[in-house]
Parts: sequence; C-alpha cells; structure tokens
Amino acid sequence: MPAAAAIKVMVVDDQTSMRAMIRRTLQDLGFKDIRDKAGPVEALGAIRADRVHLIISDYNMPDMDGLQFLEEVRKDPVIGKTVFIMLTGSADREIVQKAAVLGVNNYVVKPFSAAALKEKIERVFGELT
Amino acid sequence: MRRVSIIQGENHVSGEPDVVISTLLGSCVAVCLQDPVNRVGGMNHFLLGEPGKDDMVHHRDMARYGVHAMELLINELMRRGGIRSQLRAHLYGGANIIAGLGSIGSSNAAFARRFMETEGIAIGHCDLGGTQARKVEFVPYEGKARSRSVAEIPKIIAAPVILASNDGDLELF
Repeated sequence: MPAAAAIKVMVVDDQTSMRAMIRRTLQDLGFKDIRDKAGPVEALGAIRADRVHLIISDYNMPDMDGLQFLEEVRKDPVIGKTVFIMLTGSADREIVQKAAVLGVNNYVVKPFSAAALKEKIERVFGELT
Repeated sequence: MRRVSIIQGENHVSGEPDVVISTLLGSCVAVCLQDPVNRVGGMNHFLLGEPGKDDMVHHRDMARYGVHAMELLINELMRRGGIRSQLRAHLYGGANIIAGLGSIGSSNAAFARRFMETEGIAIGHCDLGGTQARKVEFVPYEGKARSRSVAEIPKIIAAPVILASNDGDLELF
C-alpha cells in the first residue's frame, strides 16, 4: 500500500480554480508530486514524457472529453495501465457506465468533498496514510 | 415573463427570451453568466467560496460553495450550447449585513472576482459588498441584470453540515 507521497498524480480539468482546489485537496491528503494540465492533449504529452501513477480527470472538457482521454490512455502500450479516476456530474450515469467499459478505475461525482476523493483513491491504492 | 427564483446552492440556465431568474442575497453571492452569441445564460447563488481544509460536507451541500457552484453553472451553460470563452459575468451580493458573521460577505465577493480573473471571464456589471441585502434579477437571453437594495434579510438555510461523504449511487467498483 503506497503512501500518498509516493504516488505521482496528474490532474486534468479545464477550469483553473478546480485544478487548484483538487491540488490543495491532494496536498492535504499527503500527495507531494502533483502535476496538472488544462486538457487531455497537453496531459497525454506530459504523461508520455514522464509517467504518473494516477490520473484524475474531469469528464466535461471542450476539446477532448474524459472518455476520449481515457480511451487514449488505455490504448497506449506504455501508459495504458495508469490508474484513472474520472470526475463526472451527478446526472452522468451513462458516462460512468461507458467509462467502466473503457477501463476506468473509479469515479467521483462533482461537486465532491475531500473525503469522497480520498475514499475513491483509497479503493484503488489502499490506505493513503 | 416567466420568473424562476433560486436559493443558495441552486442555479438555473435558460435560453428562453421570456425567462427572468431572480434571487435574494445577503452575504451570499450570485453570479450571472451569459454567452451573448448563443443567447444562453444562467445564475447561481452560493454561500461561501471554498470549503475549508477540514470541512467534511455532504455531497448535496457542496454546491453552496462557489468553486463548485461555478463549475455546475459553467457546465450547464456549455451543455446548452454556450461557449466558455464567450462568457461574460455580472456579480452581485457579498454584503456584510449580519452581525457575528464577520466579513464573510467580503470574502465571498473577493472569491467571485478572483474566480473570474483566474478563469479569464470578463466582468460586466458588478454590485458587491456594502451592508444591505439585494434582490437580483437576470434575463439570461438578453444578458441583462439588475440589483436593488431591499430591507428584507435573506434567510440562511442551515450552513453546510458535517456528514459522511456521498458521491453518487452507482456502485461499479
């Protein structure tokens, strides 16, 4: 069970304020290596150049949505097994089901609390502290 | 005109020409956003800017925080055909009217301004701060908003409470 400090995270959300909030939440949970990008295209480039253990991505983004991003990650032979947690809206049941088919590891419904994010990460990585 | 009233934690989006969205504000802030090209707009109403580090808040109360309320409003606008880069904002509320609540109103007003700056959303009309409650009306199709001072102090519906986390009912994992 890796401690949070050992897990490299990439946060992908088109909203700067949301990225900052997720970053602060992750820092409070003990994460040290947190990168963030405003969209999947930039994130894919960064992750391929320097791999991470966990991707936390919004679904609703203008250029490429979270499902397309997940698909791109999963079909990449190098980064394909990276843990992927998707942030969705409360009405996005169908999206969660599609994400499950594509191999998402977990999902968090926006708006979410720090506890909800922690719980979903721990379901994949085990206890963070 | 069809009138839609919202309270804290709610938002409403419309592209109909006969809709007016209204709300009553004290220390809370309402942000009116509109895409003037696609004629769609909406208003939210939030109680506080962001949850504190140790706050455990029930899922259903999260939209009372500005950071989440803005996300919900922007996403709904985009879903209805709005383009993020074309959004313009009018900001209202953030008064310090209730003794004992300190400067919550000022903090909320500062959050709203900072958010628009950070996200690159142009601010149109702005009526923030002061010590009086406001009634705000917004016609989303036109993008026109107005506010006026009122004597009535809006009721604050129970502050966000500490409860177990909840993140939806679809158990896949």
